[in-house]
Amino acid sequence: MIHLLYFDPGLGAMIIQAIVAAVAGVLLFSKNLMFKVKSFLGISKRESDIFEDIDVKDSEIESKSHSSDHQQ
Amino acid sequence: MTTNNRHSSSFRDPSGFIFMDQGCIKRSISPLYFKQYSALRDSGFFDKLHHAGLLIKHEEVSVSDQDIIIEPEQIPFFTYPYEWSFNQYKEAALLTLKIQKFSLENGFSLKDASAFNLTFFKGKMVFVDTLSFDFYTEGTPWRAYKQFISHFFGPLLLARYIGVESLKLMNSFIDGIPIKMLSSMLPYKTKLNPFLYSNIHLLARYEDKHNEDYQGYSKVSKLSKKAQLNIIKSLYDYIKKMTLRESSEWGNYYDKTNYVNDAFNEKASIIDGWIKKIHVKTLIDIGGNDGTFVRKITHNLEQALVCDIDNNSVDANFKSLKVNKETYILPFVFDVLNPSANIGFSNKERDSFLKRIQNFAPDVTMALAVIHHMTLSGNIPFDMSAQFFSSFSKYLIIEFPNRNDSWVQRLLNTKGEFKGHFDFYTVENFELSYTKYFSIIEKVPIKNSERQMFLLKSIHD
Repeated sequence: MIHLLYFDPGLGAMIIQAIVAAVAGVLLFSKNLMFKVKSFLGISKRESDIFEDIDVKDSEIESKSHSSDHQQ
Repeated sequence: MTTNNRHSSSFRDPSGFIFMDQGCIKRSISPLYFKQYSALRDSGFFDKLHHAGLLIKHEEVSVSDQDIIIEPEQIPFFTYPYEWSFNQYKEAALLTLKIQKFSLENGFSLKDASAFNLTFFKGKMVFVDTLSFDFYTEGTPWRAYKQFISHFFGPLLLARYIGVESLKLMNSFIDGIPIKMLSSMLPYKTKLNPFLYSNIHLLARYEDKHNEDYQGYSKVSKLSKKAQLNIIKSLYDYIKKMTLRESSEWGNYYDKTNYVNDAFNEKASIIDGWIKKIHVKTLIDIGGNDGTFVRKITHNLEQALVCDIDNNSVDANFKSLKVNKETYILPFVFDVLNPSANIGFSNKERDSFLKRIQNFAPDVTMALAVIHHMTLSGNIPFDMSAQFFSSFSKYLIIEFPNRNDSWVQRLLNTKGEFKGHFDFYTVENFELSYTKYFSIIEKVPIKNSERQMFLLKSIHD
């Protein structure tokens, strides 16, 4: 693997990821649950945000030029 | 292919390096990385990243046994992490996570997560290090996790809890904020949050503990892809929601400044007229606040750099350009009294502001409501500011507030008993110094104000 030549990732940082992931898993699970409960009760609000979603949408990949190219 | 023009910032990654060829940035890929490069190209992953606007586009120039040369889309002005506003920094962090998630889904993984792998281009952050991708090996942790924390999450947390000025720490720690220091700087309450505790404080302890008994790479731990995705997603969710607590001293600048509305509009129309007259394509607005005056320009600009010392103004500009979908404005944080220096190995890894702006050579520099701050707060003599402004663009549009202007009076009053030392602050002395470097093309007083506008042209070509 090429990256072995590159920089030290920190052994502690490699080991700890199992714990970090476990905590993250619990948080994501409970958040998801809360979201479901809230949408069931109809109190979830969709906030508008200038930041994108984490997922790359299929439409973004397929479009030949991304939208920011033809503005000004 | 000549490769002895290797760029002085490009040595960390043995997969290849960037170099200058006839004024163009190109990237040479070493045989070490051929396998990865071909897989990224042939699987269509590069295309996907390009189309989604996540990675800077490139063209393949040549392929040989010794090297593959690619030419990326050229970036006219490169900004560094220590010049980004809080929300720009956030966008860079989120983009890195987004790319890592997308990579994992396509069988790749980012082998590093340096904040210097991104820059602001065409209205958004873009990833510029084409060689950062490696194959993902099932069951391995994210190698760049620690780097992500020290380059992105750490600085953002410090900005949130300590103050936004902390983002400038990246100027000293170009390999990221040390985790131990980060952990000790954050307030105690961050230890009570399980998410922050595990990502920062526990990480600091583990790093400390395993620092000494490091025995090579054999003890590598396992982590499922799903678990890694949980880390990525939880970091994404957390960072996306982060906000600053402080409000801006300039936030409502235009409300409290001493402009009557007419004067404001007149100033804008004077600028617009001059910009048209000298056919400006590129400009830099120093002390440009949230970009208000640049947006008043009706002439079509190719690129407008708008910098300000205040993070919140730059953030406001960033938000406006997102909402308006403007691609020609590039906002960044900039202190005219202390521009970014040449730093890194051999002092050549990251270029100074002056070097970058001289390369960019904007057609015009705008310095509106700046000279009194430079002269009276910064004690910069007229001669020195004139020389500075003349060193990177041909034209200068500068606003001079007279002694009677209320802001000037306020600044003078803060000098107390030394007020007399600033008697030189007059328009006559200003002209005397500036005409050593510029010729005055036009000079127009702004009605109903104590300010006048100058259009100057550099006399040294």
